Amino acid sequence: MSEPGKPWDEGGPERLYTVSRGRAPQEPRHRPVELVSLIVARAEPEPGMAPEAAAVLRMCQFPLSVAEISAYLVLPVSTVTVLLAGLLRDDRVEARAPVPAAVLPDPDLLQAVMHGLQNL
Amino acid sequence: MVFAGTSSGGGSSPGGRRPASTLVWVIPPAAMAFCAALAVAVVPSGARATVAWCGVAATLAVAFAAAEAMRRGRLISTLRTRLAAQEAESRQRLAAQEAEIRRLTREVLPATVARLRRGAMVHEAMKDVDYAPRLDPDFDAAHEQLLRWVLDTVRTEEDLRDAAQRAFVNIARRVQAIVHQQAQDMREMEDKHGADPDVFEDLLHLDHGNALIGRLADSIAVLGGSRPGRQWQKEVPLFNVCRGAMSRILEYERVDLHSVADVAIVGPSVEPLIHALAELLDNATRYSPPKTRVHLTAIEVQSGVAIEIEDAGVGLSEEARRRTDAVLLQAATGFDLNDLGETPRLGLAVVGRLAVRYRFQISLRPSAYGGVRAVLIVPQDIICPTPAPGGAIARAAKLPPPKPIKRATPLPSPTRTGPLAQGRPGPGFRQNGAGLPQRRRRMPMVAPAPQSFRVDSAPPAAPAPPREPAQQPVQPGIWLDAFTKGLNGEPIPAADAATDAPDPRTSPSAPDSSSTPNTPHTQNTSDKDE
Repeated sequence: MSEPGKPWDEGGPERLYTVSRGRAPQEPRHRPVELVSLIVARAEPEPGMAPEAAAVLRMCQFPLSVAEISAYLVLPVSTVTVLLAGLLRDDRVEARAPVPAAVLPDPDLLQAVMHGLQNL
Repeated sequence: MVFAGTSSGGGSSPGGRRPASTLVWVIPPAAMAFCAALAVAVVPSGARATVAWCGVAATLAVAFAAAEAMRRGRLISTLRTRLAAQEAESRQRLAAQEAEIRRLTREVLPATVARLRRGAMVHEAMKDVDYAPRLDPDFDAAHEQLLRWVLDTVRTEEDLRDAAQRAFVNIARRVQAIVHQQAQDMREMEDKHGADPDVFEDLLHLDHGNALIGRLADSIAVLGGSRPGRQWQKEVPLFNVCRGAMSRILEYERVDLHSVADVAIVGPSVEPLIHALAELLDNATRYSPPKTRVHLTAIEVQSGVAIEIEDAGVGLSEEARRRTDAVLLQAATGFDLNDLGETPRLGLAVVGRLAVRYRFQISLRPSAYGGVRAVLIVPQDIICPTPAPGGAIARAAKLPPPKPIKRATPLPSPTRTGPLAQGRPGPGFRQNGAGLPQRRRRMPMVAPAPQSFRVDSAPPAAPAPPREPAQQPVQPGIWLDAFTKGLNGEPIPAADAATDAPDPRTSPSAPDSSSTPNTPHTQNTSDKDE
């Protein structure tokens, strides 16, 4: 899977399970964030934090999707989800659904309006 | 004869003094001659001649006996002195030999064996031995032979041990290579299946097991006199080193990583430090109750960085402490493969070895929590300033996310209002960043889809397909409709409307866009109609 010519010191010495402190993400429907949820930081990074959490807080001063965070950190989505779940629990970040469902107009209504207008 | 014997005895016994003895041997013949003369004078004249002859003969005999006795006495005395000299000489020689043998056992042998152990050949080790030519050659030859024989035996044993250790290290290296390959593959798989929590969890589980195997292989390599596995070229922040150590023990979840000094460890020392810390952490978690936490902190001290591992376990009795110290110390002097099976606490031997080799100071003391407090002091010369304060992120160190966001502080109002429909219309975002707005403008396009795909929960694949069918049936008809109507009516404003419509309002969702061009257009047409 990986080419043999790679140097031995690829990446850091730690493995992913220490980054997520051994917790796997919960069941998909209980997960607090989706792949497309937007994350906004609500706190400044603190000195004692894990570097990943601090990085999330730093980069999420501007809303970023979970997928983007995962890409920036080069961490799998599941790990990022666990990280974010921890941050959400501490109210350090805020997650919001990509587009609130209520804002979307009802297609049926639009269709009815369209038909009505066409019938004018 | 008896007289002669006593006289000689009396003559020699007063001492070996020559003048006395010469005087002494004259006395008996003189006495004899005096007696003979007296007898000649006393006896009647008829027997005088006979008596005189007898007297002369007796005097001669006595003189001869006295002279002989004297000679023998002298011989005996010379023999006796020679014997004494010989005895003294042999005693001295014996003492010298004893001293030589003592020197052999106390100085020469240990020194040469030590030299052998350090890898010298037999003849090299023998060359420096100071032979003592003061003794007879036979003894020296035997001496040398003995030394050579002992050294040869030791050398053979050492070779045997080296071969065994090399075999160990060799096997450990192969295991390490496989484990490392596995770890890399596993990381790639984790990236690949990161979105599937079930697979991901299993992968983490396997990854953890793999890391444990790796640590065991590292331990064997270290005990075999080699360095632990990987080589790090760049310095690694201490935080990541600590976390690396955590990732190699069974119960890493029980380790609380507290404040860690913002320093980095230079490349060559990273792996030994990780390994030593992992062994200490393993010890701490293994010998403390499963519910308790193990605290890991690292603070800067005068002589370097002190890494503390504190557990709330069974503690350390004075005797146990002495034993662990002994294990640590013994590891410094050398390692016997025989110990491998006997010491259950293999970890301490490994830590001891690493400590000696890389000059870590290690102390195990009773902790305030009742458990053990292990302190490992990293020397100053393997510490360097860290390139990533707070710890580096696994692979992404080179890609810190864009930071111009700082300027976005006036923005919170649109972001906080939540509904993106409001924040969307261009102007607010265009001012902010170059890269991000585009990405976000694309998001809302995906947005209508969630309603459909949120149910089937297949996030990455979902966005594209649902949109297409939504657009396909509606859009062409509308566009065509608008186009034909525009052509029929006023061409220029209609074209404007048509070109305007997609540009700022592609941002709204697909059904929106399908409806929005529709509404202005119908309005237009209705306006025209009116």
